[in-house]
Amino acid sequence: MQIIADAIALGGLYALTALGIGLIFGVMRLINFAHGDLIAASGYSLLIAAGRPVLAAVVLALLAAVVLALGTERLAFRPLRRADPASLLIASFAVSVFLEKLLIVFVDSRPKGVDFLPGLAAPVELFGVRLQQLQVVTIAVSAALLAGMTWLLRFTRIGLEMRAAAENFRMARLLGVRANRVIAAAFALSGVLAAAVTVLFVAQTGVVAPRMGLTLVVIAFVSTVIGGLGSLPGAALGGMLVGSTSMLLQAFLPDELRPFREAFVFLAVIVVLLFRPQGLLAARGLRERV
Amino acid sequence: MLRVENLHLAYGRVTALRGVSLAVEPGAMVSIIGPNGAGKTSLLGAIAGDVAAQSGRILFDGAELRGLPSDAIVRRGIALVPEGRHIFASLTVRENLTLGATIRADRAAARADIDRFLSIFPILRERAGQPAGRLSGGEQQQLAIARALLARPRLLMLDEPSLGLAPKIIDQVYDYLAEVRREGVAVLVVEQNAGRALAASDSIHVLNGGTVRLSGSGAEVMQHAGFDSAYFGVAL
Repeated sequence: MQIIADAIALGGLYALTALGIGLIFGVMRLINFAHGDLIAASGYSLLIAAGRPVLAAVVLALLAAVVLALGTERLAFRPLRRADPASLLIASFAVSVFLEKLLIVFVDSRPKGVDFLPGLAAPVELFGVRLQQLQVVTIAVSAALLAGMTWLLRFTRIGLEMRAAAENFRMARLLGVRANRVIAAAFALSGVLAAAVTVLFVAQTGVVAPRMGLTLVVIAFVSTVIGGLGSLPGAALGGMLVGSTSMLLQAFLPDELRPFREAFVFLAVIVVLLFRPQGLLAARGLRERV
Repeated sequence: MLRVENLHLAYGRVTALRGVSLAVEPGAMVSIIGPNGAGKTSLLGAIAGDVAAQSGRILFDGAELRGLPSDAIVRRGIALVPEGRHIFASLTVRENLTLGATIRADRAAARADIDRFLSIFPILRERAGQPAGRLSGGEQQQLAIARALLARPRLLMLDEPSLGLAPKIIDQVYDYLAEVRREGVAVLVVEQNAGRALAASDSIHVLNGGTVRLSGSGAEVMQHAGFDSAYFGVAL
């Protein structure tokens, strides 16, 4: 039970990150590696808010990620909207490096400890099983956010427009879907997801660093590929699978092989892509942005 | 209502339109016919704001459309059913129709219109909750036309509406377009199926090599001595 809870908790964290990446890819065909810097900026907001009420810290982290996400969209990615995917990818690397260096210049390159939600380290008994409170919170928050995202995408006007834009952006515009509104909404949502990941991640690790989001984003990107690039349910599924697999390998691999668990995860990724190169839940029509 | 004046459009070094001019009046049906690569799709794309023309004018009720994005042009009253229909395959039939009414603020009236289209096209009503990708080609065409009309356009543009459809379905599509016209909506159709367009339209423009070679009513165009050379580019 403990292992399953660990697997679901890590899977949820990766699923939230992958969904943030998948949302932007869906509407812009942009693999936004700067998503990791949203996580870092949000993390440093928690550092700044140290000592203040938890709610204030969480709101500050949320604002930092959303404002930064909208800022990068408006200043960096909107002028490049008609650029080819390779140029967009390079732009996302450039934005990522720029934001990372800003953090290094204005804060520090060394990791800093953040005593955020230390009370969640305490155990809690649930259905007769002792779990860490943080695991329960991580699973609950991930489930709530995934359910909220599902509701938003399925039952709201902006969600319908985002799904349409993800499938065929050109046709969505021809029907009157406003490109700026849909893309800005996707960036804002990716900011919300990045902030949620940050809060859970910092609560687990107690550390912030300029590159803290990089590993998460790389794994999330792999997750979106496994799930099916452009498919939002696929991104969430891919994240959940990669996270769960990674944690299960950690638990069941022999001691001498545990340091190589990531290698096994990526081997599994290669096997999946060999048999299903379009991903587990392939997206409909990957079309150019206009 | 719509006036296109001396429109030029190129994709890099490839010229698609060379000084095209035409007009569409309210409630009229105008067809553009011509061979593959004539510039027909580019013309509709330029009017809809899907591709950018380099020079010339596109006037709708006297206002210039050139330079506006496609999501602004549909708000002015022009809807396009592109070649291949481009329905959203993963969304349900009803969701596709709901997207057609994206620009409308009158949500209740839009929902009533969706129900009206579902009763006009019974097969769409039967499959309202199914992914639109499961529809046949003819059903997808019905969905694409209904979706475009839900924006309440005053000009409906269709790119190759008969492409890939059985003759019986093509008749149904054109019968419905005749009904649309009776409601005062102008129709601008691009067709390779010249016979169908000639029979249904008030006026025809033969486009070839990015230039309007011949214009007139269906009978005038068919009987014109230069029709073959205008359509095929050579005298037959």
